[in-house]
Amino acid sequence: MGKMLRLNMTDRSATLQDLPDAYKYLGGRGLTSTLVYDEVDPQCHALGPNNKLVFAPGIVTGTPAPTSARISVGAKSPLTGGIKEANAGTAFSPAQAAMGLKAIVVEGQPADKGKWWMAYVSWDLNKKQPTVEFMPADEYAGRDLYEVFPELFKRFGKVSIAGIGTAGEFLYSNSGVVFEDMEGRPARYAGRGGLGAVMGSKGLKFIIMDRKGAPGVAFADKAVFEQGRKKLTAALMEHAITKPKGALNSYGTAVLINILNEAGGLPTRNFSSGRFEGAAKIAGEAVFEGNKERLGKELYNHACSPGCIIQCSNTWYRPDGTEHVSCQEYESIWSLGANCGIDSLDVTGELIKLCNAYGVDTIEMGCTLGVAMEGGLLAFGDGKRAIELMHEVGKGTPIGRILGNGTDMAARALGVTRVPTVKGQSMPAYEPRAVKGIGITYATSTMGADHTSGYTIAPEILGVSGKVDQFDKDKADLARNFLEATAYIDSTGHCLFIAFAILDIASGFEGSVEECNGVLGTQWTMNDVGRIGKEILAREVAFNRAAGISKAHDRMPEFMKYEKLPPHNVTWDIPDETLDAVFP
Amino acid sequence: MSTMNIEVWLYGPLARYAGEQSQGSYAQLNVELPESSTMQDLLDYLHLPSEEKGITFINGDLAALPGLDADRKIVLHDGDRVGISHSRSMWPMQYRFGASMTEEIKETFRQREDRGVHHAYNDSKE
Repeated sequence: MGKMLRLNMTDRSATLQDLPDAYKYLGGRGLTSTLVYDEVDPQCHALGPNNKLVFAPGIVTGTPAPTSARISVGAKSPLTGGIKEANAGTAFSPAQAAMGLKAIVVEGQPADKGKWWMAYVSWDLNKKQPTVEFMPADEYAGRDLYEVFPELFKRFGKVSIAGIGTAGEFLYSNSGVVFEDMEGRPARYAGRGGLGAVMGSKGLKFIIMDRKGAPGVAFADKAVFEQGRKKLTAALMEHAITKPKGALNSYGTAVLINILNEAGGLPTRNFSSGRFEGAAKIAGEAVFEGNKERLGKELYNHACSPGCIIQCSNTWYRPDGTEHVSCQEYESIWSLGANCGIDSLDVTGELIKLCNAYGVDTIEMGCTLGVAMEGGLLAFGDGKRAIELMHEVGKGTPIGRILGNGTDMAARALGVTRVPTVKGQSMPAYEPRAVKGIGITYATSTMGADHTSGYTIAPEILGVSGKVDQFDKDKADLARNFLEATAYIDSTGHCLFIAFAILDIASGFEGSVEECNGVLGTQWTMNDVGRIGKEILAREVAFNRAAGISKAHDRMPEFMKYEKLPPHNVTWDIPDETLDAVFP
Repeated sequence: MSTMNIEVWLYGPLARYAGEQSQGSYAQLNVELPESSTMQDLLDYLHLPSEEKGITFINGDLAALPGLDADRKIVLHDGDRVGISHSRSMWPMQYRFGASMTEEIKETFRQREDRGVHHAYNDSKE
């Protein structure tokens, strides 16, 4: 039977309990959002004693299911004031799953401020269950995570780490929860929504997960699982986007830079244009060619976490051939590049590295810097000053604290009205005036502006095809289906990028459902996917409504309605009624 | 015969079709063609084989995707910007849903049973 581990930071006690029956078919986002809905007062202060931080591997995480090592982290968000789930690919997730821990719930708050703790979770071979030891972590506070992670691995050996950087210690609304990548870098973030601050507010600097001796994930029906795993694997190996040496493995997510730039949908200089003249210099193709020149050979991308066959993570190298940073993602290059008028991969690489070192989300940080540039704190394109300001964020100077608390905060401090946020969270790299569909997702997502809320899978199975399509004026039905499909994938533990293959290859989609049945003993069919997603979204919407987030918050920022975006010179013109129809 | 100028952007491996104007990972070049030339004429001029041509834009409008060849007959005009990406480029459905596209590719989507709600159209099973 699955277990839940509660870490009470008020008295530093740990409690192991059986997973309640009501949770037995949940995982990942489905479980974090349900636990937050069930146990957190929506009106609590996100950084007070009554918020809870939940870690949950997905349903199939820890099994040989391909590309399934995502960890969901959930809480009430200090950035949006609503429910939050952010997830990352990391060995931490299968390690937690191997111990049978369907969820870790961090709760309470220590009375003494300024002291830092870590929880060492390991497997007790005698009792055959996880055990927890709390240890002081003050020696790691206030420091660069690229120094701290190697020290932790040296001290504890082969373990996995969940933690926060200085941004989380300073309780910034833009602070993520960091996990290690395959090389032990502090580079995989559940970045969005300020979850690092929730962890910091509880005095918890790290969870160290030592899986040695743990039994691994049990199957209800191994044959059904295997059947599903093979179907999904085949789909991922075949599809143009996900296959080896395909789009993602060759050029990474940044293969989208040139595409969105041509489409006039690459937000540039704080969302004042949809096209950046320097885009081609910071695209995925430029990463590939740049590395080739600096290393003297072609370099394909690597996996961020165990068992991934898509392998989209890149590493950027300096002119002398030494490693600079992993990873230059599309969103990160865009936010810290085009959105700031910066056209150098060496500069975006350094800014990304500093985001990782101090523990902030790259999307929120790039949008904040864009607003700071518009507000006159520095000039667009000034990479040198941007790097200096990142250090101020990491060190907690007064200006650093303003910038570390996100785009809305910086805009208020600097008198900027062009503020690209929804529900307080910064927009990712798709201009909603140019790509209207993603705008509906930004506006209506329970998470604030989020490009990973609305992926789509096999529309004919979700009942979309034949009823509505992409050219209908009313796009609410399609957008709702996207949101539901995504909530399902986020619960399986699979990376959302499996959606690329399973939208187009129905047998892969079927495989993903069979994998879940093989683990849970359920009899789900593809028709259950919409229901599962709908139930998760209903809890998230209910939490948000009780927290004071209404339909009036499901809106684009006003400037997008009256400022025309070049080169198409378009405004945001989707009627409010369409947005209201997504969650009627 | 009078001519017109087309601003052409070639991405990734296609940059080599710009010859000395290649910047390695991309190329920007100005192409002079006879008036009323089509996209196919431009491809012929560049000696760019169709199997290498990926996602294509004309003036920021999506004009073609791999497997959805809807742009060959489109007549170009003086000052047009044409962006051609390579066969390993991608533009997932949810990130182009509601984006600007040519009438020709819209019609191609409409004629498909799936109404164009897919990520890729070349080697995917229907």
